[in-house]
Amino acid sequence: MPRNRACWAALGFLLLACAAILLYQRGPSGLPWLPGCTFHYLTGLNCPGCGMTRAAYATLHGRIGEAFRLNPLGMILLPLASLGIGLEIIGWVRGKPLPFRLSVGAKGAWAIAWIVVAFWILRNLPWWPFTLLSPP
Amino acid sequence: MQWYYSKNGTQLGPVSEADLLAKLASSEVLTTDLVWKDGMGNWLPAGQLRELVPLSAFPAASPLAPPSGNSPYQPPYSSPSSMASAQAIPNYLWQSIVVTILCCWPFGIPAIIYAAKVDGLKARGDIPGAMAASASAKTWCMVAAGIWLVLVVLWLVIVGSSAVFSSHSGSFPR
Repeated sequence: MPRNRACWAALGFLLLACAAILLYQRGPSGLPWLPGCTFHYLTGLNCPGCGMTRAAYATLHGRIGEAFRLNPLGMILLPLASLGIGLEIIGWVRGKPLPFRLSVGAKGAWAIAWIVVAFWILRNLPWWPFTLLSPP
Repeated sequence: MQWYYSKNGTQLGPVSEADLLAKLASSEVLTTDLVWKDGMGNWLPAGQLRELVPLSAFPAASPLAPPSGNSPYQPPYSSPSSMASAQAIPNYLWQSIVVTILCCWPFGIPAIIYAAKVDGLKARGDIPGAMAASASAKTWCMVAAGIWLVLVVLWLVIVGSSAVFSSHSGSFPR
């Protein structure tokens, strides 16, 4: 196992943990140095990730329902993506890919691409029920 | 029975089975060289064919070297080793999703689209196409993450130099 790869992975994990602790303690508005969404700032529209910081804060405090209300797609895709990337990082650290990886196949990947684009458009429509997709 | 065999990407033959066995015995044809006869679906390394190479005869038949060059004969071959390397092409799908959602940038969408192409091209046997799509997906991920990083640094500089901004930032969706 290449040692410096393990160090990089540990460093990344540590930074992530620090970010989570800071967010847990101070909340999104307690981190004024964190930039907001530039897309929202420039256009006033929601991007597919808008609401995710607040959703992460709600999740850290056990309020899963509120987190889904803030960004339903992110709450589904991000845990999946974290698992997929985590498995790849384990394979990368030990220098040999794991015999399995989290794969959704070619059709699944296209479905995710379309769902993200559709989510982006739909959550900006000003009518119910699409307004449910945009963070309050 | 007429056999064809491939050396360094060049198609040779036809030769009789006896001739091919003689070439294998004299190492003129290696167990890693691809061979084909009428009725076989794919070109295969000679070492994989029990009729040519009994398991006991060439214990060093594996590992199989990837074939070099394209075969001029039909059907196109796909050796197990090239399939194995195809499995290793990363699609960067999960990374693309993370940069799209967290970095909040339109650059994540092309990354997802290229990532989605990788597995389809791989399934169709277009290995160079899959590798190109994989590289594009990686590039878009890096661009999205890089621009996000630049923005964060710029933002920190602005916030550091002006306290006015910090009082407004709380209203931005994050």
